[in-house]
Amino acid sequence: MFVHNFKYSLALLLKNRQLVFWTIAFPLIMAVLFNMAFSNIENEEAFDAIHIAVVDDKDFHSSIFKTALEELSSGDDKIFEIEYTDKTKAQELLENNEITGYLSFSGDDVKVTINSNGTSETILCYIIDEIKSDIAVITEIGTEAVKNEIMAGNTDIDYEKYYKDASELVTNSEVNLKDTSNHHLSYVMIEYYSLIAMTCLYSGLFSMTLVNYKLANVSAVGKRTAVSPAKKGGMLFGSLAAGFVVQLAGLLLLFLLMIFVIGADFGTNLAMILTLSVFGSLAGLTMGIAVAVLIKAGENAKLTALIGITMAGSFLSGMMGITMKNVIDKNVPILNKINPVAMITDGFYALYYYDTPERFYIDLISLAVFSAVMLIISWGGLRRQRYDSL
Amino acid sequence: MTKKIIEVTDLTKEYKQLKAVDQLSFDVYDKEILGLLGPNGSGKSTTINCILSLLKYSSGSIKIFGEEMKPDSYEIKRKLGVIFQDVAVFQELTVYDNIDYFCGLYISEKKQRREYIKDAIELTGLEDYQKFYPRQLSGGLLRRLNIACGIAHKPKLIFLDEPTVAVDPQSRNNILEGIRKLRDGGATIVYTTHYMEEVEQLCDRIIIIDKGKIIASGTSDSLKELAKIEEKITVEIKGLSDEILKRIETFPNAAAAEYDGERLTVSYRSGSANIGDIIDFMRDNNLRYTKIYSERPTLNDVFLELTGKELRD
Repeated sequence: MFVHNFKYSLALLLKNRQLVFWTIAFPLIMAVLFNMAFSNIENEEAFDAIHIAVVDDKDFHSSIFKTALEELSSGDDKIFEIEYTDKTKAQELLENNEITGYLSFSGDDVKVTINSNGTSETILCYIIDEIKSDIAVITEIGTEAVKNEIMAGNTDIDYEKYYKDASELVTNSEVNLKDTSNHHLSYVMIEYYSLIAMTCLYSGLFSMTLVNYKLANVSAVGKRTAVSPAKKGGMLFGSLAAGFVVQLAGLLLLFLLMIFVIGADFGTNLAMILTLSVFGSLAGLTMGIAVAVLIKAGENAKLTALIGITMAGSFLSGMMGITMKNVIDKNVPILNKINPVAMITDGFYALYYYDTPERFYIDLISLAVFSAVMLIISWGGLRRQRYDSL
Repeated sequence: MTKKIIEVTDLTKEYKQLKAVDQLSFDVYDKEILGLLGPNGSGKSTTINCILSLLKYSSGSIKIFGEEMKPDSYEIKRKLGVIFQDVAVFQELTVYDNIDYFCGLYISEKKQRREYIKDAIELTGLEDYQKFYPRQLSGGLLRRLNIACGIAHKPKLIFLDEPTVAVDPQSRNNILEGIRKLRDGGATIVYTTHYMEEVEQLCDRIIIIDKGKIIASGTSDSLKELAKIEEKITVEIKGLSDEILKRIETFPNAAAAEYDGERLTVSYRSGSANIGDIIDFMRDNNLRYTKIYSERPTLNDVFLELTGKELRD
């Protein structure tokens, strides 16, 4: 049954021209267009360190950020070019577009002020946000350690030592950004990563199309399939496997085009980018299945829902402006923890910015868990299904 | 005693305030063709969908082959074939591949499947169209493909839900002939339609449904007895006056006389020389007609008698 369903699912997908266009051809066209639009910019405008200003006051000097910012603005591969000034001057520089943004400090908190949403702004917000969350973790660790000392009856606590340890952690580990050489950190590469993420999520269209063919309330062939003795589990996995194969073929074409025709340089990360794309595609496919099964509506309504969810996920994950990602991470962090788009983009960012692969692997695991949950929910919705109306 | 293949007991299906099927009870026996006849919206398809476990129902019980029918009754499903009203085929697959796909949901052995597909193609007369795509087929051929996809696995119990809707007369005859062959091959068939001529031609037994209720059941002949008329005489004539019509209504044995401006229809409860009386009346009154003929009552007359409305209203 699996092989039979797999074989015909493949044929159904490959012969659906509209579907093939939007899921395979469209990303290829977009890649070519991105290349045409951005390659000149790339050549003319190689990446420079981001110009920012820091409000140089008492709060800044007592802030744990000071060390981190000094680290990030020194050396040949520095990310920031920092001007230390007062708030009025910083605001003036921003308004004159001489800086990307400025940082002002109040106690332990830092405020990022930017004027627009561009690549540099995205990177600035992302890095500051990361430092903030890391500091929060270290503070918690330090507090816990001090608390443990007190609980153990030790009143002679060396606070200086804990502060120093935390600072070292910030300097040596948490903000240990990796190779940010110009050919990696480029406008066009960021666009390519967004395109790969979009392609991964568009795989939901494959699985949704196939599952709709199996639902009695959506299509006539679905009614015929529903009255057959074919077990839903086998049908589901056959469809998933076919969608996965077609999606992988599409991704392969996209990578071949980007690497060999366009000349995109994924550096040493290619294997990990491919792995993340495979997991992202799996998440996209299973999300398509879940939307098809759980939303009791016609084909068009489901398609709208899938695209809507993908767009909302992209928006919340910061693909359309990093400010939203910061807002969500700060106020409703759970939202981006269950958002597959955020998992994929975060995985790409993690590859970019960190030497250690933990965060990347967490994103991979999150995508795998997300896929498994989607499958279990879908399977539960499919089996023993009887409808209220047809 | 003939074996019961389907047992439906007190089946009720409600949509909010509307009872689409109202305490329906009937049995289907081995190797018979049972016709479910009723106007559009009478509850025929809903009944079939409940039997097939596609629809939830409010109350009642359904047994097929002696066992309760549920969505996961895979062994029962293995013996079923269903031809839905809407053509259920993939536009992306050829005629042969469509039949192979659906047959493959029942039969996994390839060699056996190939033989079954060949038989289905022969039965539906699609030999010359195996490599065609559905969009290349006429409406009649598409309906035949729809049937081939539903019966290729040689089911023991076949549901045909209005399989001849929007089909030309030649294709309709081919389809009806194919259904007879399936019954002759040992299948039990449940056939729903609102075409009374089809059930008269095809079905061993007929159940007439209206507003979700069974209003009559039996053989075609036994049902016609319910019509309370024996003969209908139709005269094709123009310009008949009301006065003449009133005189015709007073004929001996005449139950009713209706005139639509072109056709006069007189229903008789009994009598053996009614057509002669009409011809004499026309001649005596110098009324010129183009055609006159006599008919036995139809199932439509039965439906009219029982519900006060036409079957195709």
